[in-house]
Amino acid sequence: MYSLLFKSFFRTKIFLVSLVLLMSVGVISIFIGKQYLVKQEKTIAAAEVFQEESIKKNIEYHSEDLGLLLYYLRFTLIKKPENISAISIGQSDVNPLMQAVTIRALEAQKYDTDFENPSLLMSGNLDLGFVIIYLFPLVLIAMTFNLYSEEKELGTWRILAAQTSGKAGFLFKKMAVRILFVFVVLIVLMFLASTILQISMSANFWAIFLQSILYLLFWSALCFWMVSLLKNSSFNALALISIWVVLTILIPALVNNYVINTYQVPEALDAMVEQRDGYHEKWDMEKGATMTEFTKAYPEYKSYPVPEDEFSWIWYYGMQFMGDFAAKETSTEMMEKVMLRNTVSEKVALFVPTMHAQLSFNNLAKTDMMSHSAFLKALTKFHEDLRLGFYTKIFENKPADSVDWSTHHVKFYTSKRDVNWIYLMLPTVLITMLIGIFAAINLRKL
Amino acid sequence: MRKNVIKLLARQLWQDAFRSKVMLIASALMLFLLLFSAYSGYENYHDQNFTRDEIQHEVQESWENNPDKHPHRMSHYGSFALRLKHVLSVFDLGMENFVGNAVFLEAHKQNTVNFSEASMSTGLLRFGEVSLAMLLKVIVPLLIFYLGFATIAQERENGTLKLLIGQGITRKEIVFGKWIGLWSLSLIFLISIFLVLLLFVLLESHNSMLTDSFLRYLVLLISYFLFFGILSAITILVSAFSATAKGALVKLLGIWLLFVIIVPKSLQAMGFYLYPTPSKIEMETAVEHDLIELGDSHNPDDPHFKALKDSVLLANKVTDVNDLPFNYGGFVMSKGEELSAEVYLEHQEGLYEVYHKQNNLERYSAFINPYSAIKNLSMAFSGTDFQSFLHFKDEAETYRFKLAQDMNQLQMDFIPNKGKEGPNTISSDYWKEFPPFQYHFLSIREVLKNELTSLIALLLWSILSVFGLLKLSTNLKAI
Repeated sequence: MYSLLFKSFFRTKIFLVSLVLLMSVGVISIFIGKQYLVKQEKTIAAAEVFQEESIKKNIEYHSEDLGLLLYYLRFTLIKKPENISAISIGQSDVNPLMQAVTIRALEAQKYDTDFENPSLLMSGNLDLGFVIIYLFPLVLIAMTFNLYSEEKELGTWRILAAQTSGKAGFLFKKMAVRILFVFVVLIVLMFLASTILQISMSANFWAIFLQSILYLLFWSALCFWMVSLLKNSSFNALALISIWVVLTILIPALVNNYVINTYQVPEALDAMVEQRDGYHEKWDMEKGATMTEFTKAYPEYKSYPVPEDEFSWIWYYGMQFMGDFAAKETSTEMMEKVMLRNTVSEKVALFVPTMHAQLSFNNLAKTDMMSHSAFLKALTKFHEDLRLGFYTKIFENKPADSVDWSTHHVKFYTSKRDVNWIYLMLPTVLITMLIGIFAAINLRKL
Repeated sequence: MRKNVIKLLARQLWQDAFRSKVMLIASALMLFLLLFSAYSGYENYHDQNFTRDEIQHEVQESWENNPDKHPHRMSHYGSFALRLKHVLSVFDLGMENFVGNAVFLEAHKQNTVNFSEASMSTGLLRFGEVSLAMLLKVIVPLLIFYLGFATIAQERENGTLKLLIGQGITRKEIVFGKWIGLWSLSLIFLISIFLVLLLFVLLESHNSMLTDSFLRYLVLLISYFLFFGILSAITILVSAFSATAKGALVKLLGIWLLFVIIVPKSLQAMGFYLYPTPSKIEMETAVEHDLIELGDSHNPDDPHFKALKDSVLLANKVTDVNDLPFNYGGFVMSKGEELSAEVYLEHQEGLYEVYHKQNNLERYSAFINPYSAIKNLSMAFSGTDFQSFLHFKDEAETYRFKLAQDMNQLQMDFIPNKGKEGPNTISSDYWKEFPPFQYHFLSIREVLKNELTSLIALLLWSILSVFGLLKLSTNLKAI
């Protein structure tokens, strides 16, 4: 039975078109991922050279004055690239991979962006995640919308009905052949991705794989349910494409608009101004206004003298600290709002498999907002460690060679997150089962 | 062609459409989406501009309230430029949420424009956004295909096409009647959306902007009007050349997917693949490298700055820079600013050149894909395309440069050289004399120039559509 169904399926035009479409776009998407990884590597190499050379050059000019030298020097923290990100590039093109910061106020440096073509940002990356979320369902729709109606319209259904005992079983087998084909293409693409992109077989990789399978099962169930309504081909095509538009375009976009408008983030702009004023106004105030807060945060520097009538580095870096201090509250509020956007989106996504698939791909590939916010936290820590490492020497007016510069090469940040299997799988599984049950009930009447 | 026959056929199509469930569901859905996107578009426009305007004022106020100080401190105090949204961004969001909104302007340094909505969003942004233009660009074309796929194919299947011709109606009348019927049907959506938009344009444009906004509005209206005519023609043609209505539908759905979703995205990705861009750190390294080649103001033995010094000394007939009639530090900084701005802008220009190459692939595809034409036109005339953003960046950079140079000039004029008598600060009155940052949108003439390709493509498509329909009128198969 199956061998005949396979044979007749392989003879259809749609089989060939689907195979060529999925394989070619799939392979292209993998190479786009590859290019993304190569660009990251190049950027990191450039950052390493940049830091080393700029330290060397600046020491030449400012070897006597460590305070001035560190006004110029930038230290880089890089989010360690992971090859799995290439499957779902997510937000990692909007948010920079690294940040090179001086020990001056961080708030003014933290949110600097990298250069990206906004047209590309808008159209989004053609990564494997996109192929799975958008194209695979389309192919499923194209292969199954006339599963029953074609036979009916060509008049072959009555012959079939007379010859097979289980009519529903026959449709199901016909469906299974097509689902199996889609799965084989998916597995081949995943395998190609793992070899071309050199992705390690971590839990995250398998989670993406499993999520993809479930996501396609969801679409298969949906298509099968549509078939089970026993409508004509035109109706099925129209209805399924409409559902596809609603699920992959309209609902996510509506939710996105809602989230952006409901949780606006004017705090971002406020913090930016507060930081500047918090630092700059201190130039025109007496030094105590700076030093009180600074020594409250870092009592270990209380003993250093701060002359009232002349410039001192402790006062200068104290003022810089005050910039961050002034913006701290607003900046925290800003990140809270951004995280709230994230939480709300994730909650809604639990009910919409397309959104859930996209968000969990980004999550597993570590290219989502959460991952970037963790990086920003690490950057704050990195910045503080740098400052505290240099403060004593600056405040004691030591020369540049009192620092061991060989330890100051670029630093990497790696994130760790565990896969929450239930949260990942359960929503799609439940929705798929529900639709499957409806389809089965419909087919009873056949 | 007889006018009343065409009218009759068009009316017939309307009646059929309103009898079908598709039109009912589509209208209800469109009404909901229209209300939602008008509301959310306006809310976004209004709230964002309100916040940005407020902060821009605050920034100016705090600039003016600075006490007497050294002018170079003021050029480090700097200013901010906040990007204002065009009122038509209510219509088409374009790149609005993917480009930055605020930039810190200070001496010596071109900062990035930060805080784009995208940098504060979740992965959902990649699914796209709902806007009035998105409904017209993405959803309505699909509706046109839904409403029109059966027009001719179904009549032929039913045998009614043969009857029509038998009754003395010419093929041309049938083709154009159906076309005008479908096109006018699609205009229901166009008119309702543009009526809502007109309200916003009239409400939000201040006197000086009204003419400009209104002209932009008109170009948008005409462009979409033509776009729908093209789509209706494509629908009729596909329907006429398909054996069955089902076949026509499948073909049209394929065209929609290809033109609206797959081709634009693939071409954009391909552009990116073909023309790689440097990362910021790579460009900064290159800029720094070029600057050191030209002249390094930190290096006391640098030939460029040494020559500059010698020539200034010679011209003023003094031997020590401290004897110059102006502040030498201010002079060196102003020369340094000139040099660094020039080098930076040169590299930036190179980067944008690559962006344009990346985008051109998709832009020129307008000649094979009318959706690309309307997409680019719509963004540009709504003030939300890349050029509009670059225009903001240019204005911000011009302001930054002027700020730094004016402060350098004040330093040269009023701050004494080392070892000379005189105060080290100048009056705060000078800060008040420096004008605030004011953003002007691109003029419509500029926009027209930028979008010439898309306009030509759209017109060619319109001509091609009529030509195609005329061709069909001669060889429409009745059976």
